Amino acid sequence: MKKTKKAIAAILALTMVMAGLTACNSSDKKESSSSASSASGSSSANMTNEERIVAAAKEGKVGNWGLGNEYEIQALLTKYGQSTDYLSQSFDMDGFDDDSITLASAMTYNELGLVVNDYEGGYGYGDKVGTIDMNDEGVAMLEDNIFCTKEFAEKNPNTVKAFISASLKGWQYACEHTDEAAQIVFEAGSSVSSDHQAYMAAEVAKVVTTDTKGGAVSDYGNMDEEAMQQTLDLAKQYIKLDDSSAADKLSSMTLDDVRDTSYWEAAKNGDFGTPEKTDVSIQLKWLPQCQFMGYYVAAAKGYYDEVGLNVNIVPGGGDIGETTAVNNGTVDFGVTWVSNLISADAGGMDLLEIAQVYQRSAIVLVYKK
Amino acid sequence: MYRLKRIVTSKLFVTLIWILGLIIIWEVCASVVESTKRTPENILPHLSGIVDSIFSDRKVNGSQTAFQMVLDNAGATLSRAGIGFLIGTLCGFVLALLMNLSGIAEKIAFPYLMLIQMIPILGMAPIINAITGDIAKSRIIIAAILTFYPVATNTLAGFKSVEREKHELMYSYAANKLQIYIKTLIPSCIPYFFTGLKISAPMAITASILVDTLQGGIGLGCLLSQSLKGAMTRYVFWQIVFFSAFIGIMSFCLMGIIEKALTPYKNNRKTRKRV
Amino acid sequence: MKTYGTKLKKLTSAIYPIAFGVLIFIMWQTQLLHKLLNTDVYILPLPSRIAEIISDNSSKIMENVISTVEVAIPGLILGSVLGYLIAIIAALFKTYGSGGLTVISAFNAVPIVALAPVITNWTKDVSPEASVRSFAAKVIVVTIMCTASMSVNAYRGLTELKPFSEDLMKSYACGKGKTLLKLRLPNSVPYIFTALRVSVPSSVISTLVAEYFAEYITGVGRQIRENILTAQYATAWAYIVVACLIGIIMYILLILAESIFLKNRRQVLSIK
Repeated sequence: MKKTKKAIAAILALTMVMAGLTACNSSDKKESSSSASSASGSSSANMTNEERIVAAAKEGKVGNWGLGNEYEIQALLTKYGQSTDYLSQSFDMDGFDDDSITLASAMTYNELGLVVNDYEGGYGYGDKVGTIDMNDEGVAMLEDNIFCTKEFAEKNPNTVKAFISASLKGWQYACEHTDEAAQIVFEAGSSVSSDHQAYMAAEVAKVVTTDTKGGAVSDYGNMDEEAMQQTLDLAKQYIKLDDSSAADKLSSMTLDDVRDTSYWEAAKNGDFGTPEKTDVSIQLKWLPQCQFMGYYVAAAKGYYDEVGLNVNIVPGGGDIGETTAVNNGTVDFGVTWVSNLISADAGGMDLLEIAQVYQRSAIVLVYKK
Repeated sequence: MYRLKRIVTSKLFVTLIWILGLIIIWEVCASVVESTKRTPENILPHLSGIVDSIFSDRKVNGSQTAFQMVLDNAGATLSRAGIGFLIGTLCGFVLALLMNLSGIAEKIAFPYLMLIQMIPILGMAPIINAITGDIAKSRIIIAAILTFYPVATNTLAGFKSVEREKHELMYSYAANKLQIYIKTLIPSCIPYFFTGLKISAPMAITASILVDTLQGGIGLGCLLSQSLKGAMTRYVFWQIVFFSAFIGIMSFCLMGIIEKALTPYKNNRKTRKRV
Repeated sequence: MKTYGTKLKKLTSAIYPIAFGVLIFIMWQTQLLHKLLNTDVYILPLPSRIAEIISDNSSKIMENVISTVEVAIPGLILGSVLGYLIAIIAALFKTYGSGGLTVISAFNAVPIVALAPVITNWTKDVSPEASVRSFAAKVIVVTIMCTASMSVNAYRGLTELKPFSEDLMKSYACGKGKTLLKLRLPNSVPYIFTALRVSVPSSVISTLVAEYFAEYITGVGRQIRENILTAQYATAWAYIVVACLIGIIMYILLILAESIFLKNRRQVLSIK
């Protein structure tokens, strides 16, 4: 009896020591590799995009937020033959500012504005920074859309059509009057500074009215076949799912599984009857800001009232994703990125894109010149 | 001289000295950060900056100053934490009672009580949200889940602490089970019960803030994560850090005050012990 | 006869919870639980599917588990040692020490979601390599979370002595140092385990949350968050189960250690 006790004690002590040692070991390893990599850091004003990407990737200083935002960056890294590893970037640009990330992800309408401009919260780099555009690099994936569950769309087709119609009317007005839209969003409880809102509204308007190739888009909410297909193809390549049945579902997915254009077309033609459900809500992907100005404008201008809807706008930005919120029925509509919708459907949700608001990728990689 | 010594060793003075020391360390670090970093407010701002931001009358969003927003959101978080805490306390007490009444219940529940502590709450949250279908309700439930464990275990320890002699005495008085509970068990478990409450009250608050970050809406956690995500001045974040620490301590003290009010006899015993 | 009785008692105390667990498991697998909770197999995947994912990805999961444990254990040890040292200092200099403890326990009132990003920012200069600075940041967060419970409990252990024992030591003409060594330290051992019972689970949980905010992407916590946000609930559950297992295994190790260290002491106590 005593012997076993002693043995257990010995084993315990041993495991403790082992755990301690492995911890030390691994940090040693990490340290030794760090000294090797920092030697190669050199920057130059007239590097090509490829050289910049390769240099930053070799140093392990490419940043992205991860959590479903990383696929375009990984596609770009793969394009230049680099590993798809990246650093987890926090939601401010401090890592970029202090050079721990040399190639940082930024949304043109949000983080890039903070880097470039010198209003409150900005870093004021002005034209001392350059960007690498996902659209130009051919790895663009479409972002903000409008979606709901298939079940909801089948049960409430008129509500869906009316919602699309009024929302897109809001988007059109917002893109044509960005300053006014910025003011509306600011008053609706946005906590981002009003200067940044104005910048954001102008940049978002560009993303909504320009396609991936740089052409003008007049059809708000259009689901461009080619861009959608490219998004799906890249998604299949870079969304890595550990769940084998979800991975199978992803690899066999077609566009028809994730989007339905009929509601949008009917909405465009004003071809809908009285809504089945009048009190609806929309879950935003992020904090209340001009990224979602169309919905705020539609609400403020009474476009939702015109089609007989009473819309509640729910801000996002937490760990319960918009896909989850829509799927479990706490909200009716949602705004998400197409890639997130694809992975959610692969995982077993039954979500359907009903309009594509953003027509081109708004992610850029920003670097110091 | 004696008077001076009494002042120097008084509890208030000691606490003050400590706080002063911390402030000095903070300010020294903040000065270093200020001279070496471009965005000191993201790393360690001067305390004066935080205080300034509390009293600043600049409107952060359309209509409120930073501190008004914090107070507004604190109300929502605290009420959820309070309700969750009450539910958790009640459940914890009842569970401890059940576990004490029945050995089988104790054997079944105890390992699982432990298990609940091991589940990462942020993983559980979407599931609870899906079950309740309402984010406010799920936040309350999570706060309750996180608080009831310390209450249950400490109360149970209280029940167990009753000396056998007391039990036997009650038995010899021919007291029935209910009387035993009311006269001996419950009074003697009260200090333990309050130990549990003192642990779980600050926990309810930090837990509520944690679950606030799960989804948008009103709440200190929402505001905190928005501030971290650059949606508003970083000083809001620092205000919340201090505010939540303050409320956490206050909730702890509140439990102490309630305990003292409910158990005046305990104080006498304590002094007796000290002599 | 007596050993038989205690054995039986031990047996039943194992059987009841296991039976309950099996019952829950069966309800879960047969989806009875889903009906009770009004949820679906998507949000609450079946155990068989979770097990399948764990076995399919065992090497990747192991990698993440190691990275999490590598943070949790050093953090736990550092925090506990630090907490204990603080408690000793506080016990030696009582008036100022207890005030300091109040201030330290105030750290526990700061929510970890606020602490973790701040620490990540503070450790930016630790190393140019992201994996190292993230490791440091995570260990510091865990250390802070473990320090308070240890220092408060150990302080109680060092100061709440049996009546007259201190006077006895004095009558033996023992100095402060000797009293500490012979009376206070041994007296605090059970309290150390009380503290560890709290801080072992909390070290795992705080590692998970710290991983959320770390720059270098690794660990069970980060995987839980990635998978929940990309709506991969079955995979997220697999990692949640793994996280629970880490906590449970560490807790069992603690209980074993406790039973070894406190065995003799129990006998003494039971005489009382």
